[in-house]
Amino acid sequence: MPELCYRVAWRRQQGDFQAGEDFASFAEAAAALWAWQPQSETSVPSKHNPACTNAVEIWCCRQGEEAAVAPRPQYRFVVYGKVSGGGGDGSEASPWWGVGEAITGLVELHRSGAIALQPGQRLRLCHREIFATSAGQKRKAQAENIARMVFLAMSLMLVIPVAAILTYLVIKGWPALSISFLLENPQQRMTAGGIWAPLVGTFFLVLISLLVAAPIGILAGVYLNEYARDNWLTRIINLGVVNLAGVPSIVHALFGVGVIMFFAELKRKYGVWVPFHDRCLLAASCTLAVMTLPVIITSTREALASVPMSFREACWNMGATRWQTIRTIVLPNSISGILTGVILQVSRAAGETAPILLTGAVFSVPVPDHGWRAFVPYGLHDRCMALSMHLYTISTQVVNVPEHVEYGTAVVLIGLVLVVNSVSIGLRVYLRLRKKW
Amino acid sequence: MATDSGSQAKAPARHFGRFVDRLSGGAAMAAEVAIEWTIRLCGWSAILFVFAIFFFVLREAAPVLFGKLDLVEFFTSTQWQPTSLVKPRYGALALIVGSLSVTGLAMVLAVPLGLGAAVYISEFCEGKVREVLKIVVELLAAIPSVVWGFIGLMVIGPLVMDLAGAEVGVNLLTGGVILALMSVPVIVSVGEDALKAVPDSYREAALALGASRWEIVYRVLFPAAKNGLLAAVLLGVGRAVGETMAVLMATGHAVQIPQSLVDPIRTLTATIAAELGEAVAGGPHYRVLFVVGLLLFIISFIVNLTADVVVKGIKGESRN
Amino acid sequence: MKTQTEPAGRLSSASAASGQIQQSEVHIAFRNVSASYGPVVALREVNLEIYRGEILGIIGPANSGKSTLLKCINRTIDFVPNARVTGQVLIDGQDVLRLRNVYALRRRIGMVFPLPVGLPLSVYENVAYAPRRAGVRQRHELDAIVERCLRQAMLWDEVKDRLDILGTKLSGGQQQRLTLARALSLNPEILCLDEFSIAIDPVTTMRIEDILRELKRRVTIVLVTNLVQQARRLADRTAFFMAGRLVEVGSTETIFEHPQCELTRRYVVGDFG
Repeated sequence: MPELCYRVAWRRQQGDFQAGEDFASFAEAAAALWAWQPQSETSVPSKHNPACTNAVEIWCCRQGEEAAVAPRPQYRFVVYGKVSGGGGDGSEASPWWGVGEAITGLVELHRSGAIALQPGQRLRLCHREIFATSAGQKRKAQAENIARMVFLAMSLMLVIPVAAILTYLVIKGWPALSISFLLENPQQRMTAGGIWAPLVGTFFLVLISLLVAAPIGILAGVYLNEYARDNWLTRIINLGVVNLAGVPSIVHALFGVGVIMFFAELKRKYGVWVPFHDRCLLAASCTLAVMTLPVIITSTREALASVPMSFREACWNMGATRWQTIRTIVLPNSISGILTGVILQVSRAAGETAPILLTGAVFSVPVPDHGWRAFVPYGLHDRCMALSMHLYTISTQVVNVPEHVEYGTAVVLIGLVLVVNSVSIGLRVYLRLRKKW
Repeated sequence: MATDSGSQAKAPARHFGRFVDRLSGGAAMAAEVAIEWTIRLCGWSAILFVFAIFFFVLREAAPVLFGKLDLVEFFTSTQWQPTSLVKPRYGALALIVGSLSVTGLAMVLAVPLGLGAAVYISEFCEGKVREVLKIVVELLAAIPSVVWGFIGLMVIGPLVMDLAGAEVGVNLLTGGVILALMSVPVIVSVGEDALKAVPDSYREAALALGASRWEIVYRVLFPAAKNGLLAAVLLGVGRAVGETMAVLMATGHAVQIPQSLVDPIRTLTATIAAELGEAVAGGPHYRVLFVVGLLLFIISFIVNLTADVVVKGIKGESRN
Repeated sequence: MKTQTEPAGRLSSASAASGQIQQSEVHIAFRNVSASYGPVVALREVNLEIYRGEILGIIGPANSGKSTLLKCINRTIDFVPNARVTGQVLIDGQDVLRLRNVYALRRRIGMVFPLPVGLPLSVYENVAYAPRRAGVRQRHELDAIVERCLRQAMLWDEVKDRLDILGTKLSGGQQQRLTLARALSLNPEILCLDEFSIAIDPVTTMRIEDILRELKRRVTIVLVTNLVQQARRLADRTAFFMAGRLVEVGSTETIFEHPQCELTRRYVVGDFG
């Protein structure tokens, strides 16, 4: 039988294996590994290389033949650089914790016959930093980073263009913005002057719609959260709230017009009193009120639901009626949440155009420049101007309006809405800080 | 301590003669009854208004809807000539296609963007950054539609003319972009709610199995939250279909079926807004516009109903 | 303190007015009371008498209907959806299940819950809550009531300098005593306690037990507890419930020393529950 010899070969990093000396016995070959220990190029433990790169192999071949070794090692053992405690068996699951242990282990394994190198086979000893990511894990981490970047980009694609547009608006409208812009009426057929008349109109539209919508909406929210039982009627009401919230704004306008026609007919035919019978501030406000109602209802419900049930039970057990409990404990402790919702709707009512387009807001109404009438120019049954409608008018219906007046009007409208919304958001943050329980 | 939700407060069981109880006990009891009935009436207001809207719009539309209006022509003809002195025609097909196309384009842009942002806010960022992003989305939602229309007209329009070689700035593409920006906040906030509603235990289980966050998102969260995400998309669609001022100002005035992305179009909503002011009250044009309004109401009703049913799906499941 | 005027003579007790409490006088009586929440039966055909001025301990494993029993006494079972009650619950001879003015009833019964609840009002307003709803307006009257009740609940010394702090900011033990003070604020004839000690520390538990012993003569106390030894310490009579049925009732000594039912014996020695 031709004698076997064992050759030690090493590889630095990802390079090729270089063969070294031949040894007659496995034990000698293994011992030679240890001898190479101090040499940085060939040493197996490598502090600076995570993942299996430096490696030492023992090749088995027939004496005198050139090594023709298998492309993959037959046996593969791992030495961890930083494991402390306990010996292992050299597998990936329970590695040797040092080269010395590895050599002892290898020799033992060979002697017991657990490893038997045939000619042409290889045995590899390599190093891996503990807790280093394997290639698979690295791929996953990369995929995660890519995903994170993609989603971040999507969010930014939303934010950045809008920020850019808003900045552009402010820049273009800047020349027009001043106190007098806010306080002067439109002049010279709206090609000059300010936006006082529409501003006042929007103020009153919002005020009256709030006076109508808030009490009804809040009480409806109280009903749904405090009184309603879990039956079909309640489910239908909830459905109604959701659908009312989804009605297109122009359909609200049609509703308003339909009601106006209906009242006009009633008045004409039967002579009864009706709240309004033509396009006017009151009709437009009521249309806005119906539009803002569902969100007030929903936010009131949420605010009421955040008051723990245990408070109500404590009050009921003391003999308080349902309404007394609501009045003394539930409402006072949810008022900030309710206000948040109401304020949000203020900003929405200020910005909407379609509902008021056909029900009371008009192109132009002469408004005095001075005197108390400048502050209360519109009666409940008068037509009025509105800021949102004004923006539509000057950008599409009137010619020769200087650009900065158009942009300035847009900026004022956005500013108004954003300020009111910020108040609402600020109120919400303040709420969270001042929690009473 | 007291952390249970107060949303289960319910009325006394009918078994105990609740109304009889209330009737006795003097003025205090009477006041209580009166208050409860006022509150109850307010509670019914939402459903009353929905019916009222339907009723009053139908009332104005009825003479023509059940009368001379040729519904076949209405739905299949593109000839919308309501002001013709010779023979007014009310073919709304181009308007319907206009609404659908601009909504479709908007959704193509808004759904990936919105869901992506929702995923980012919900899964990939923490603390301050999340707060800020959520506030930004809210403020975005607050921008009035007339301002969006203005932006479409003055900013996006010229951009589209330059970049896409459009003849007119107001067209399908501009309208689609603007509508997308308007619908995204809805998709983001409802989508984020849906993702948040997926119990943490799902995420923890996946993490324990070694999944990365991205894998958790597409393997665990999307399937689990698909109802809520679908509802988010539907609500976005509802918002887009019902939008009036922005499309009025940004899509142009041509009543035609668009042949390319940069053709001007007109939607159902814009038609009503633009023409009702001039239509003779009580005349056929006026009434046909109300028919269009009725159509819009029905479309949004169906979309909202579907979204609600879909959402109830997740609520029912999560209770298990 | 003025109590709200009632339809004459129905709920007020003649013997209480005469200043003499008779031990054997029946204050509360359950006659064939059954209660269910939808398909789930909570009480089955309960017949039980509770005497004036005593402490009745109610023991039993979970879901034996003990809390439901208390809810029937002050009609708060009305607030549970799908609840149905049949039978009669007589307080001083009057069936409260058919009563019209429930609020007056609830004012004469004090209730303490398992989890301490401090209302999000000042401590003063917590205790003054029930008197205010009942119509007491005068500041000096309310002051007197607040002090009396806080003293009775052994909370006065701890809060007398800070009556304006929020009730929700007190500790668990303090909140439970606050609940007790609220329950006592209208001079109730009946005091119901539903496992009052499960969420509070032993020291507070002991103090409340002392309070109950003091209150005993003036107030009829119904004490639901899952701590068998608590019933042994406090109760004059004890009732053992299981699965909605009243298994046995008798003097505490009898129930604990020589119970008649095997089930009772096994429960009091701790075999189950």
